[in-house]
Order: sequence, then C-alpha cells, then structure tokens
Amino acid sequence: MTDTKDTQTSGLGFMGQRVQRVEDDRLLVGKGEFVADVLPEGVLHAAFLRSPFPHATINSINVTAAARLPGVHKVFTGAELNAITNPFLPMFMADGVYTPLYKCMSDEKVRHVGDLVALVVAESRYVAEDALELIEIDYTELTPVGTIDQALEPNREQLWEKADGNVLGNLSDSFGPVDQVFSRADHVITRTFECPRQTNQPMETRGTVVKVDKATGHLEIHNTSQAPHALKWALAAMLTDEGGIKNFGKFVRNADRRQAFTAAAKDFLSKNKESLKAQDNAGQVSQLKKDKSLLKHQGKMAMGLLASTDYPTVKAGDIGGAFGSKGPITREDVAVAAAAKKLGKSVQWIEDRVENLMDGGQAREEQFTISMAVDSDGTLRGMKVDFVLDQGAYPGFPISSLIIPLLWKLYMPGPYNIEAFELNGQIVATNKGRVVPYRGPWANETWLRERMLDVVARELNITPADLRAKNVMREGSMPDAFITGPTIDETMSVAKTFDRALEMIDFDQLEEDKAAAEAKGHRLGLGIASYHEAAPGPPNFFSSAQPGSDMLLSEDGRAEIQADGRIVMYTSQSPHGQSHETTYKQVAADEFGVPLEDVEIVWGDTDRTQFSFLGTGGSRGGPLGAGVMRMTARELRRQVTDVAADMLEAASSDIEIIDGNIHVAGVPAKGITYADVAAKVATDKRTTSGPVFTEQMQYDGVGNGGWSVATHVAWVDIDLETGLVEIPRYLVVEDCGPIINPGVVDGQIRGGVAQGVGAVFYERHHYDEQANLLSTTYMDYLVPTAMEIPHIDIEHMETLTDGENDARGTGEGGMIGAPAALTNAVSDALGVEVYEQYLPPYRILELAGVIDR
Amino acid sequence: MKNPPFNYHRPATVAEALDLLAKHGDDAKVLAGGQSLLPVMALRLGQPEHLIDISAIDELKAISVNDGVTIGAMVRHAEAEKSAEVKQHAPLVAAALPHVGHRAIRNRGTVVGSIAHADAAAEMPAVCLATEATMTIASTDGARTVAAADFFEGFFSTALAPHELLSHVHFPAANATTGTAVVEVSRRHGDYAMCGLACSIDAGGGTISSAALAFFGVAGTAVRVADAEASLIGKPPTADAFAAAADIVKATLDPSDDIHATAAYRKHIAATLTRRGLAEATSTIGVPA
Repeated sequence: MTDTKDTQTSGLGFMGQRVQRVEDDRLLVGKGEFVADVLPEGVLHAAFLRSPFPHATINSINVTAAARLPGVHKVFTGAELNAITNPFLPMFMADGVYTPLYKCMSDEKVRHVGDLVALVVAESRYVAEDALELIEIDYTELTPVGTIDQALEPNREQLWEKADGNVLGNLSDSFGPVDQVFSRADHVITRTFECPRQTNQPMETRGTVVKVDKATGHLEIHNTSQAPHALKWALAAMLTDEGGIKNFGKFVRNADRRQAFTAAAKDFLSKNKESLKAQDNAGQVSQLKKDKSLLKHQGKMAMGLLASTDYPTVKAGDIGGAFGSKGPITREDVAVAAAAKKLGKSVQWIEDRVENLMDGGQAREEQFTISMAVDSDGTLRGMKVDFVLDQGAYPGFPISSLIIPLLWKLYMPGPYNIEAFELNGQIVATNKGRVVPYRGPWANETWLRERMLDVVARELNITPADLRAKNVMREGSMPDAFITGPTIDETMSVAKTFDRALEMIDFDQLEEDKAAAEAKGHRLGLGIASYHEAAPGPPNFFSSAQPGSDMLLSEDGRAEIQADGRIVMYTSQSPHGQSHETTYKQVAADEFGVPLEDVEIVWGDTDRTQFSFLGTGGSRGGPLGAGVMRMTARELRRQVTDVAADMLEAASSDIEIIDGNIHVAGVPAKGITYADVAAKVATDKRTTSGPVFTEQMQYDGVGNGGWSVATHVAWVDIDLETGLVEIPRYLVVEDCGPIINPGVVDGQIRGGVAQGVGAVFYERHHYDEQANLLSTTYMDYLVPTAMEIPHIDIEHMETLTDGENDARGTGEGGMIGAPAALTNAVSDALGVEVYEQYLPPYRILELAGVIDR
Repeated sequence: MKNPPFNYHRPATVAEALDLLAKHGDDAKVLAGGQSLLPVMALRLGQPEHLIDISAIDELKAISVNDGVTIGAMVRHAEAEKSAEVKQHAPLVAAALPHVGHRAIRNRGTVVGSIAHADAAAEMPAVCLATEATMTIASTDGARTVAAADFFEGFFSTALAPHELLSHVHFPAANATTGTAVVEVSRRHGDYAMCGLACSIDAGGGTISSAALAFFGVAGTAVRVADAEASLIGKPPTADAFAAAADIVKATLDPSDDIHATAAYRKHIAATLTRRGLAEATSTIGVPA
C-alpha cells in the first residue's frame, strides 16, 4: 500500500522484520511466571477490608472475632499499619496545586467505595475473606461528593480538610496574544464537552508477593509493577517507622551506603545541572502554604531512605498488561509489605477483579469548555479551554493527575498553526477511585480539539478535511517550536499522514455508501482525527510542562559479555505486553551480528538492572529503551572487535561479524566466536565466570525530534432501529520512524484503537450521584471483545531523521486518535454534533432523535 | 472474590438428591452447571451452607422426545444446542441456545438451571413462556407439574420451594405451520440482552392462527404481551400486521432504566424486535429443521 513511500528502514538483519515474538512460546502454553505464580514456602495470603461507603468517618473497629477465626494469622487495623509506615508525599508540585498527604490505610475517614480499612493475613485467601466478614466497624456516613458539579458546590462536604472547596489544583497558562486574537477573529465558537470515567482494565489485576528472608529480614518483592525501581525506592522510604536523628546516625555509620549515596547525589547534580537551574520552587511553596507538616514528613522519608541499609529487592516478571495502571505505587503495595515485614513472614496479595474495578486505576472523567477563534475563510487563530478534571479521592503517587493538565498545556493546540492559546482549569477531589495514567493519559486534548474542529468546520460550511488541510503545520513552513514551547522537527509531520489518509479515502464511494445505508434505515458516517505525541519528545518537552523534569528523558542500560561468551542485556524497562524481549533482541542481535537466541534480555529485577524512575511508560521503550540497548551493544562490539583483531592479527576496521562468526572481511572460514574472544579475555584476566566485557550508559534520545504522528479515519454504520454501531472500516496512517518489528507496532496500534472503540461504545465506569460504584463486575463494565473490534488498516510512513536510534514510541497513539475519529464519524452519520465521548446504543438513538431522552 | 465455606454433596440418584433437599431445604442450593450460582457465591451475595451437586445423576442427563421434547436438569446448553431432537421438536429452544452467553458458558451451564435461576434477562424463561412449557418439580413429597406461566413469580423467584428440585422441563411440539425466532439486542456479543424476544407464529393457510411473543430483559420476569399476540390473529403475516403488534408492545411494556439502557430505549427496541422477530419466524415456516 505504500506506493508513495518516501521513507526507509534500517534494511539490515532483524531490524524492520516481522520477527515472531519470543515471549509467546512461554506465555501461550502457560509457562509464564506471573505474580500469582510466585508462592514462597509458607506464604500467607492477604485480603483487604474495603469501605462499603463512599464517604464516612470510622468511629470504631473491632477485629476480635476475625482474629480468632482458625487460619487467621493477624488482622491489622488501619491504625496499626499507619503507625509503621510513612505517608505518600506529593512528588510533582506546581504553583496553585495542593496534594494532600495520606497513608497506606484509612483509619479515621474513608473517602471512596473500596477504601482500605483493615488487612487480614491468613493461611488462604478464602479464610482471609471469611475473616473480613467478622470485622465490625461503626461508620458515620458523610455527604458524598459524586460528581464534578457536587465537588464545586459551595459549602459541600470536603474530602480533604485543607483542599478548600474540594479543589486540589488551579492551573492557568497562556501563550501568544490571546485577547487580541480573540477580539480580531471573524468568529469565536464555543462548546462544552464531557468525557465520563473509564478504567484501565489489564487482563491481569495488580498483585504483590513479599518474601521475607528470615535470617536477614530482607524483603524480596514480586510485583506487577511497571516501575520496579520506583517501588523499591518508595518502599525503602515508607517502610520505616523510625525517624530523625536516629536514622541519620545509622546512615552515617554505614560507610558503604554513605559513599554510594554521595556518589549518586554528585552524579545527579552534574547530569541535571541545567534543568536544576531552570527549576523554580513555586510548587513547593504553594504546597507548604497549605500543609505545614509537609517538611516534617519529607524529612522522615528522606531519613528512611538514607537509613535503609537494606533496601528491598523488587522483581517484576511476566505481567498481563497495565495500560498505565501499574506504574503508580499504591497503598496496597505499602500495606502488604509493612504487614509482611511486621510478621516476618512472606505474604501474597492478588487483587481480584472487583477490587480492580473499585480502585485499580481510573481515568478521563473530564469536562471542557472550548472556544476557537477562527476567520471566515477557515484560518484557525486561537484556542481557549477551561477544564475540570475529577481525580477521585486519593492523588496518584508518585505522579498525580496533575501531569494530565500539564501535558494538555503542551499538546492541546495540536499540529495546527495557531497564534494564541489559553488553558485554565481545576482538579477536583470526589469520592471515587484513583485516577492513574491510562494509555495516552492526555488523550482528551485530541478528542476535544478534533471534535471541535468538525463543529467549527460545519459552522463555517466547509468540510472537516478542508479545515484541517488549511491549518495543519506543513514541512517547509513549520515553526521551530510549538507556541507552547516544545521544539519541532521533521518528525512532527502530521501533514504527511493526513495527506496520505485523504488519498486513501474514496469520497465518491463514501457518498454511494451513505445512500445505500440510508436506504436500509441506517446512517453511515466518516470521521478524521490527527495528532502528534511526544514519543519521547524533544529534550525540552518535559521542562516545557514543568521546569526541572528533564531527567525523565533518559534511560540507563547495561550490556555484558560473560566469560562463556553469552551476551546479556539489562534493561530498566518493565515489559508487560509490549514485546520488549523480542524487539530488544532484534536491536542487539543486529549490532552484535549474532542470531536472536544468542542475546539474553534481563528486566524487572532491581538487583540486576539500573535505576529508572519510570520503568515502562511514556512511549519510551522504543526510542530510549531500545536506544540504550543499541548503544551499549555497539560499544561492546567495538571492544570485542579490538580483541578479535589482535587474535586474528588484523586491523579492527577489517573485522566483520556475520551470524556470530567474527572474521577478517572475506575470510569467513577462519573466523572465531564471541565465546573464543570472551575465553581469551577471561584467561588474560584469570577469571572463569562473570562478565568479561561490560558497558553501561545513560542514553537521552534522538536529538531534537522524537514525535510520533498519525491520522485516524473511522467509518461507522449505525442501525437507527437499534442504535447499534458497526465499524465497516478503520484506517490508521502513522509515522513512528523506522519500525523495529511491524508485527509489534501493528499490535500496539490495534490494541490502542480497540480501547478507543471501548471508550466510545462500551466502557463507562459508572458511579451514581451518591458516589456508589455501579459497574462492579464485568457484567457492567464492558470491555470490547474480538467480536466488537473491526479490522484495522494500518499504513506506516517511516520518516528517518539523523538520530542514532530513530524508532519512536507508538504504544499510546491508537487510544489517542480513536475516540476522536469515532465520535466525529457518529456526528457525520447522524448529522448532529456530539459533545460527549461515551455513546451507548440508547444515547445514539437519543442523538438521532429516534427516542426521547 | 472467594466463596465462603459450604458442605458439598454429590448424590448419585434423584432420590438421594431429594433426601438431601428435604434435610437441608432453606440452607441448600442445587448445583448444576454453576454458571450463575458460583459467581454469586464468589461475590458473597449468596452463602448457602450446602451445595447439592446433581452432575453425577445420570437420570437427569437425557433429552427425550415425547410429543415435544423433555430436557433433564443436567443437560448442558451445548448438548441441547447439538441435539437434532431439540432442533426438530423444540425449534424455539434451538433458536435461543446460540444466544445464551458464550460457548464456554454453554459448555457448562444447563438449560434447566437457567430456567430455575429465573433471570428475567435470560433467554430460556422466555422460551418456556412462549412455548407454554411444563415444569416437572420433584421432592420427597412426590412430583408435581407447573405450567411455565405459573412458574416464574418475580425477580429471580419461582414456584420452586426450597426442598424441591426442577428435574425436567417439557417443551410441547410445534406445528408444521409454526415458525419461530429468538432475536435480541445486547451491548456486546454474548451479553445479557437489553431486550430480547422469543416468538412463534402459526400462519398455516396464509392467516395467523396463533402467535406467542415472550420478551426478556424488560421486567422482573420474562413477559408475554397478550394484546399484541391477539392483534395478529386472523391477519396475514405481513409487515403491517407486525408493525401494528409492535405498536401495542411498545405501549404495553413498562421496562426500567439501568446503566445499559433507558426505559424509552428498551420500548423502542422491543418494537423493533417484534417486527424483526415475527418476520424471521414467518420465514422459517415450513423450512425443515
């Protein structure tokens, strides 16, 4: 299909090949090792007592009967676990934002259905759940906050004492001459949009198994974490009940830790000199004004970190999906680890689906009012957006929902030329589950903008395609940067995908199909949506959102050749369905010139991999994770080549490596192997085991680029008698640079689009007005199945830049584009504007005027 | 989501099962395919002290032909779905089976279990009403039969007493001039229907002589709409007649709102399904099974 292809792939070896996933042999026959498969000898099982009320105070708790049940080892009240743990502190702070401090359990007040009240540890999960029924709690119900409107009502009950009016953040920023642009434009068109709550629903729920070493007390924690290092670090800080000078004394006496800490601090300071200089402390000041106890708690956590002579080890094995929900460190992680540490016994907690629906991670309940300033000829001039984001009860840790509006600030004007942009809004607390990043956490900026572009086009009586064509940034006349800050380069050519998509739509056929649909009582419509995403973005991307956050834009990695010649690559990513093992083997095998099976990929074990705050997240696995694999492999190959050149009595520049055969170019018969070279070095070093070559480095990207771009086109066919929607065709034209493995990229795109189809037609996480959760099982939270997902045509455009590792992230895009394309298509089909994202069959018929609302 | 403790019994005969039911009555539940009961227990919405598993009772595993079809309490949906006898003698049952859950559910779940569970959104209770099936209810007091119309009493409740076992359901034979259809609208393939219809129409000689319209998912039990059925009698099976019946259905049903559908939507699709179901049923008249 790529007849206009003006792109290139590496064209060598495994890169760009549709290599079969190496993970599947293990996973498809039940040989994966998921967290529930980890059963240390004598492991106990934990179950949480969760609040049945959305908002209540706890008057008393009686665990006597539960503790007496045979098979129960211990019933922890919230207060007991809180006494031995430190609180969750705000990490990302911004001016005008207040992040309440909270602990791992709720001991005085519950703030959502499913809030954590007590923890039973028993010989089996069955017994633990039996014991939960014996715990007696006396609650006094408080007025719940069930909706955004309720949260903002004057004098409404507050979730958090210091969050006045349930507002946790006021954000406001503007770019360009907003007032001037809006006063001079021919038209200002304003609309209000809303997206209801969704939940990330990975196939595997959360889980943690805390193994306690009886001799040393060391914790080895197997967890479904996307970010094992962040979990290790957080648990080291939170699992201490001591504080202050005592801890500092312990730290000072421990020479190893002191030296390691000092070295790390120096390294951090030298690497982040520039971004630290740019950092302002307005966020800290703003937080401190609200909560004076912040400093004391920060001190306790710092002391915990310093004094933890024995940091836990965290291991993440096979993980059955996350979509962002397993990046945050959760209260359950801390509570279960604290319980195991206290008991000195290994404990397993596996979240069940009901728990997962209550608090495994929720997303996207957002309201927007958008104004677009536009001239009569369709020239887009400016955009103003007011938003309210419903974050639920407890802010996510370490990255709260604050990150979402910060990213909106950068993304919202999209790939269009625009003179001015303003964003104002609030984050509110309600009595609902926790908001977490969900695949393209900022995605509603694309939904809002692209839906609004269609509204504006109809108001101006031009086609949505023409309006986009007129305003999209084009190569040749692209500015150096978005008005919101981030640098632009040729990787941000949405126009290329948009033009190609238009070529692939047969508009004459569309009119025929529309007429044919109408003849049988159906309506057919087409919707287009375009977007760009930082994957991982230019160097100034994160600092454009928040000064000082540049460090998120790098990845550490290590490569080793063992004494026996084995090649081992260590990644700080935590794969959970993205095929890292396959693609990283492809990248490394190409660099080393060896077969795939000669490369081993190690991940998930904090004792073996290097620190990473994010783990897997933010579309960084291709550009940064694979990038550091490539660069470390390249350096090791160079070292191996030098030794081999000596052994072969040739110049390094004459050495070739093909299929593991290291030889002088043109003389493959006289080759040697990695094992031969490793053996030589091992002999020289008088060693027989361990690595003989090692290279570790920090890799920070691809120069000024790092954008992934795409245009989605959806066709929908609506049965006006039932409101059921078919998707006869779905097209994605995307550019994520040179593709490592097209099978993997296609899978990411299809999975993302599937979740977009879910968001629009099936998935709504329903809370009632009293904040009771209604969608508590899969009978009511409807995840689309293979039956509901259409065939998806994918057109790749692989723009190559001059970067060293041009592969760009593509995991989130499918979900970013799909809701916009689908709702635009519904709007086109029905001839009415759609201002909401969730369109179940009854709503389709209401919009069509077939039934009354 | 782990079930509470229970005592497990696995009788080999109906007589043993009935003794156990007589003994434990209120505290016992009969376990057949477990596709509804076990999730209810896992969610701790139900905590029976005794489970009486009837899966070892051979006498409940038969499908027999007797002026229609009699289905025993341990016949799984998948077995009934594959049965030529069911297809030939109880075509409405056969038409409903592919709509029941997903294949994995049909592999374990039983036809009679679904009827005893009496979920108002399930297909089988509506099929019983439309075909005027007869329930055979056994207990240590002896067996009794109850007409489908008297069996379903309300939301998940039936004429079964705690010590009784719904051992068999008899679906009467259909005329050669009768057509049948089961149509429904669900959110996703395999979900409970927001509204569904099990219908039959006898239109021998070009005139409708009888019709049955049993809706599910729109009330506390499956419901027939007698006025709509009566409106069809004596008319030719045409789109106009079906549309008139659909209007009556829409005016008669009084469904409620839930998170999947509004009442207005359910009434609308009930009317749509009336037209579609009757047309489909008519098209099956005289087509060999």
